[in-house]
Amino acid sequence: MIAVNDRIIPWQPTVIAGPKQAMLVTPETAVMMIKKAKRPLMVVGPLAKRQPVLEHTVKIIRHWDLPVVSTADTYRVLKDAGVESEPHGIVEITNLLKDPSWEGLRGEGQHDLVIFIGCIYYIASQGLSTLKHFAPHIRTLTICKTFHSNADASFPNMDDDEWFRYLEKMYTD
Amino acid sequence: MDVAPESKKAKNLKGDFWDLKNIQISIGEIITEEKPQEEDVKGPKPRPHVTDLRSWDMKLLERYEPFYAPFCDMCCLCTYGKCDLLGKRGACGIDAATQQARIVLLACLIGTAAHAGHARHLVDHLIEKLGEDHEIDLGMNVDIEAPITRTVMGRRPRTLGDLREVMDYAEEQTSHLLSACHTGQEGDSRDFESKAFHAGLMDDLVREVADIAQIVALDLPKGDEDAPLVELGFGTIDNTKPVILCIGHNVLPGADIVDYVTGRELEDEIEVCGICCAAIDVTRYSEAAKVVGPLSKQLRFIRSGVADVIVVDEQCVRTDVLEEALKNRSAVIATTDKMCLGLPDVTDEDPDKIVNDLINGNIEGALILDPEKVGEVAVKTAMKLAPLRKSLKKLPEVDEIIRMASECTDCGWCQRVCPNSLPVMDAVKSAAEGDLSKLEEMALEELCYTCGRCEQECERDIPIVSMVTKAGERRVKDEKYKIRAGRGPAQDVEIRRVGAPIVLGDIPGVIAFVGCSNYPEGGKDVALMAKEFLERNYIVVTTGCGAMSIGEYRDEDGKTLYEKYGGQFDAKGLVNMGSCVSNAHISGAAIKIANIFAQKPLEGNFEEIADYILNRVGACGVAWGAYSQKAAAIATGVNRWGIPVVLGPHGSKYRRLFLGRADDQEKWKLNDLRTGEVIDGEPAPEHLLYAAENREEATVMVAKLCIRPTDTSKGRQMKLSNYIDLHKKYFGTIPDDIDRFIRTEKDIPIVYKRDIMKILEEKNWKPRELPKEPSLLER
Repeated sequence: MIAVNDRIIPWQPTVIAGPKQAMLVTPETAVMMIKKAKRPLMVVGPLAKRQPVLEHTVKIIRHWDLPVVSTADTYRVLKDAGVESEPHGIVEITNLLKDPSWEGLRGEGQHDLVIFIGCIYYIASQGLSTLKHFAPHIRTLTICKTFHSNADASFPNMDDDEWFRYLEKMYTD
Repeated sequence: MDVAPESKKAKNLKGDFWDLKNIQISIGEIITEEKPQEEDVKGPKPRPHVTDLRSWDMKLLERYEPFYAPFCDMCCLCTYGKCDLLGKRGACGIDAATQQARIVLLACLIGTAAHAGHARHLVDHLIEKLGEDHEIDLGMNVDIEAPITRTVMGRRPRTLGDLREVMDYAEEQTSHLLSACHTGQEGDSRDFESKAFHAGLMDDLVREVADIAQIVALDLPKGDEDAPLVELGFGTIDNTKPVILCIGHNVLPGADIVDYVTGRELEDEIEVCGICCAAIDVTRYSEAAKVVGPLSKQLRFIRSGVADVIVVDEQCVRTDVLEEALKNRSAVIATTDKMCLGLPDVTDEDPDKIVNDLINGNIEGALILDPEKVGEVAVKTAMKLAPLRKSLKKLPEVDEIIRMASECTDCGWCQRVCPNSLPVMDAVKSAAEGDLSKLEEMALEELCYTCGRCEQECERDIPIVSMVTKAGERRVKDEKYKIRAGRGPAQDVEIRRVGAPIVLGDIPGVIAFVGCSNYPEGGKDVALMAKEFLERNYIVVTTGCGAMSIGEYRDEDGKTLYEKYGGQFDAKGLVNMGSCVSNAHISGAAIKIANIFAQKPLEGNFEEIADYILNRVGACGVAWGAYSQKAAAIATGVNRWGIPVVLGPHGSKYRRLFLGRADDQEKWKLNDLRTGEVIDGEPAPEHLLYAAENREEATVMVAKLCIRPTDTSKGRQMKLSNYIDLHKKYFGTIPDDIDRFIRTEKDIPIVYKRDIMKILEEKNWKPRELPKEPSLLER
């Protein structure tokens, strides 16, 4: 059980980078961010390959018709689950996202919101730091079960049961 | 005799003209009649200063833009600050990108200084022992004995004394580079990166100096593909004998320990073993020595209490080694100025008095700066101490582990601070219920690299590393492996044999597994990658902790990869070149390909050689674990030669990568030096420094990064076959970017022709010409 005070300390507490920390969000706020975005993007990492995280992830993607980038070797699992994605290393997609002139996954222009789930914590934290510094044109949202202080908005630290309830609300409400 | 040709010289300054005019050229020191100068400095850019190779660096940086992932948003260096650089500049005017580049340069310089300090120590000591005229002779099969030194310095080193001159140059450059990090100096991130490249090049240079010096002075293997298989693993150490453990990177104390042991015929009565690169280098000196394992075994082995004497030298040693050793009353001997540990300097004291003081506990440990005396004191102390320490050579009993585990308060901070996010608390909780299997898994699968971070955080001071070690103990006796002793450089004759197949693509690549052993999912990952590429006909080279991790894996036949594959620098060869300083032979091999196969002159000719390697030599480094500043310097150094490197996910914490943009065709234009035309290229290699999230991604990326513009169609087919096979294995499909790498239909692997043709049609692909002499340089 994660103590209340620990919910908004980064999961790995030493990744704190400076005075600015992510805004803590509920599923409802996360949904509002997606609704407000013109060109959102979903980035799915290898920690989302296991069930039931995969099922929740697929449902969120379908519900919001999100273009998807799969990092590491996640592509295959998503494809088997019926989701087409574009495979990129997490550093490759971060590099593309920090370029305002990148045309985006659907060729409609750079994305304005990127939602991360399932990327390995410490490399995701580094990538989020890149976007925090060098991609002011993009909002970042993490919906992992760990608090990512380098994102603009993040779910808090929580256990699996609570996390799955959070994820479910992302496509049912 | 099959030897390589003398490297081509850009300009021959020898000859009658100079003699008739009675002119002498002095490089660094006065030339006397007794010491005639056989060769003068040559080449377009010998002994390059900090900015002399800047134009080459900018070409690389234009294509592979620096990617920064700041670990910290602030600058904390000067007294104006701290300054928050998120979206703003600091008080001195620096921005976040420039600050990150500055920190990267600092990291590279720390690494370079570590190698340079080590090399200087070796060279000075060996000159004192053998004289400055001691010849550099790497045997009849290695004529190009120092490719990096020749290329950078513009001349060939012939003696140990010549190596001192190389050190003078590298130290001077390093000093200039460090000065640029001062507040209020360099103000551009790319210029910082250019300087980091230069630091990396100096690192490459001094590593070559260090390894050549120890090879010729200590008679280590000289490019011997049949270097002996030596013992590796916890279980190879006979703890009933006195045990001396060497930790670090400096072979000198270890060599003198071996000399003392052999000089008194004590080989059967004492165990000499090592951790990290000292272990590799001591086994190059004597195959009777044993390798406990990589860096990640350090705390585990110290905690086991097996070592009676722990001799530390420099680099990658735990700074709490004395504190940890005292828990088991192991004696600690520090041996270099880099790491004195607060111990009394007893270098000038009588060895027997030091031994007595160590045994009686009059001193906590000893600082001895004379390697020969270290040899005597270490052996005598171990012999006397071992009988007294018999009861201490063990870990806590299982009952005690269960009791200690029951102290756990479920706070969970052990797993939150674990660098690998391991479920540490779950394992401790299971242990409290008598189930040690989760702790055991962390030990056996090398998931835990025993950094001890969990213990530092534990509010109940539970010794989790000791518990992990104990849980894995019942399998320790099985930890007996074989590793091929470090062989040193590739022979010229081997380079001649593989030069053409590598450049034309028939050998799909040279993959170098190097670096630290802090792996995201255990050491097995490295071995599995090595196995994958060996089975696919690549040349696999390795050094240091990476070499040890590969040795700690047995395949389905129960053999280690060293037992299964030969040590030749050829397809399917598993080439252990040696320790971290031996990494110089990896870039050295690529340089020698340019010289021996393509007849490119080396002396002072860095840019042409690097351009050749970037465009033609399908080599790729893999530094799967991330830890040291030395690794940052090594990677940056090989990058400047045009060799890409893939890091593990922890590598993102080095803060900077060099990423290409495959979608920007302008970035991949090439100059065809044969025709003078600017031609369309391909993203080959696509990135120069890349961090992969897991092994599967890394494996596919490594295969892709071996593609080069100069591949023949047959070679390209082979490389693409491997890339596609691995992509299908781990991603399930033919890669979506395959069209970028197919120049004509002849490049298409026959097995995949139908599928690829379909993709090419969908993408409206058009054939293009093969470049004849691709280059980033102007004609």
